[in-house]
Amino acid sequence: MELDLQNPLTTSYEDLQYDGVPSLFSNESDHMSSSLLSFDSSDSRFSIRRSAVALLSHAKFSYNLDPFLVYLSVNYVDRFLSKQRTLEKKPWIAQILVVASLSLAAKMRNSDLSLPISDLQREEGFEFESQSVRRMETILLSTLQWRMRSITPFSFLQYFISLIKTDNDDDDDSSLTQCLNRRASDLIFNVQHEMELLEYKPSIISASALLCAVHGLTPLMFSSCEEAISSSEYVNRGVLLECVGAMQEITREGYEQSSVQASASGTVTPISVFDWQGTSTVSEEGTTDNSVKRRRLNGSSICDSITFQISQIQRC
Amino acid sequence: MEKYEKLEKVGEGTYGKVYKAKEKATGLVVALKKTRLEMDEEGVPPTALREVSLLQMLSQSLYVVRLLCVEHVDNKSGKPLLYLVFEYLDTDLKKFIDSHRKGPNPRPLPPQLIQSFLYQLCKGVSHCHSHGVLHRDLKPQNLLLDKEKGILKIADLGLGRAFTVPLKSYTHEIVTLWYRAPEVLLGSTHYSTAVDIWSVGCIFAEMVRRQALFPGDSEFQQLLHIFRLLGTPTEKDWPGVSSLRDWHVYPQWEPQNLARAVPSLESDGLDLLTKMLKYDPADRISAKAALDHPYFDSLDKSQF
Repeated sequence: MELDLQNPLTTSYEDLQYDGVPSLFSNESDHMSSSLLSFDSSDSRFSIRRSAVALLSHAKFSYNLDPFLVYLSVNYVDRFLSKQRTLEKKPWIAQILVVASLSLAAKMRNSDLSLPISDLQREEGFEFESQSVRRMETILLSTLQWRMRSITPFSFLQYFISLIKTDNDDDDDSSLTQCLNRRASDLIFNVQHEMELLEYKPSIISASALLCAVHGLTPLMFSSCEEAISSSEYVNRGVLLECVGAMQEITREGYEQSSVQASASGTVTPISVFDWQGTSTVSEEGTTDNSVKRRRLNGSSICDSITFQISQIQRC
Repeated sequence: MEKYEKLEKVGEGTYGKVYKAKEKATGLVVALKKTRLEMDEEGVPPTALREVSLLQMLSQSLYVVRLLCVEHVDNKSGKPLLYLVFEYLDTDLKKFIDSHRKGPNPRPLPPQLIQSFLYQLCKGVSHCHSHGVLHRDLKPQNLLLDKEKGILKIADLGLGRAFTVPLKSYTHEIVTLWYRAPEVLLGSTHYSTAVDIWSVGCIFAEMVRRQALFPGDSEFQQLLHIFRLLGTPTEKDWPGVSSLRDWHVYPQWEPQNLARAVPSLESDGLDLLTKMLKYDPADRISAKAALDHPYFDSLDKSQF
């Protein structure tokens, strides 16, 4: 049974899909990487993340990879880094992390990526022995405790859409619903890179993306939709509104900065994409610094981290 | 695995050895389930990856044995092993029923306890089904109990596809057929959640009777046991039955009165059991619907 990010729990039992909702909400914290925010901004883990994310977006566009698969890979990278204590500043760490994450995500999605993965390595001028990649896969698996069915914002989208549907809109395929779903999904893809949003639970990101989509498409419906979503027993309204605000800010900044990129690629890409060479954009630096400060005040803790066993894979 | 001290081997699960062990640092008693991981040049096989991660997710339910962690190690000859570390429960429903049938003090299981165990079993099965997972090997040995708290949890779950169900376990003990649904015995290739409900029905009856409802020792004998009690199925009560792969011509039995097999069960319980043992998988009650059956009306559900 391959992993479907929009529906990580159930297979084909469509009528049962909402039964899994309470367990999604109760488990989502296991799938967060918010402890990344508690690290010092000069920490090597930040630059590793930056390089890894850049490499993954590069691979996504160069090889036309399944966006869900890439999303899952970034999720693995983030969760892995958030559980590490110290890491050396070596470029190959980001590279092997990317290769292993892509390979695991492909296995979860039941697709074959062996070709793009080896193309990517050749193009970027690094080539890991398959044994080293396997070892890295194993380290990733044990760090993430085999919790590879990531609960992501996509997991909650159907649920939140069901909350904002009006009575005369009970058809799943209504064009408005589809459009909202698509817009919210695009937003979720696009904000994955934003460190600032890592502090929010996947469900809050999901609800916020949906509300941003509502705001963009049918602004008059915003307050009623916001009310409907806030009435969910799983949603904290204050946190939701804060996240919606942060997301709108990012989207606005992104439009200003990358309107050229977006129009060139022809897709709705309302945020900055990382510069592939590893130098970050202004907005990225800014958000990182702010969030680091905020996190420190909150005094968040690093969960039981497993020290990265560099010796295990350095032979490559 | 030096974190754990093995205390004793507690069994041979369907997929490998099970040890009772103690986590040295905390003194926590756990069950270690050792499984070989067939690695090829592609590394961890996708099926194992998907199943173990599914198990990780399912074990969050109170009615499923909790997977505490997963340890991946190489044995002395370099073969990869997977240790699944589960919470430890000291008994299972088979031992529990046995202790009520034989031994110094044979006695029926208290009706309220049967009701409570069955409710928890349906909760757990419903949880698995809502996550798209069939157990496919539900039996009293796979239902672990916390006797003190009266809690029942489903074990040996989710590995059905990653590690194909063998016909014989490691000890060459024949895998039991007693709880297997008729459509599986007849070679149906499309299973559904109903196969688990059949098993739940058999387990329900066994708690009441303190002995198995259909103790067959071969697939053929197993079918005859079922047919003798419930009548040989016809196209009328199970459309399509005679086109199933392993269907043969069987002796024609008339259905017996199910109440005679479970004389001490009250009428609501008998009605629920009847719905769980319907021949046509499509007619069989779902785990979720079973939770709302009147049989459970007298149960204090606030405790669950």
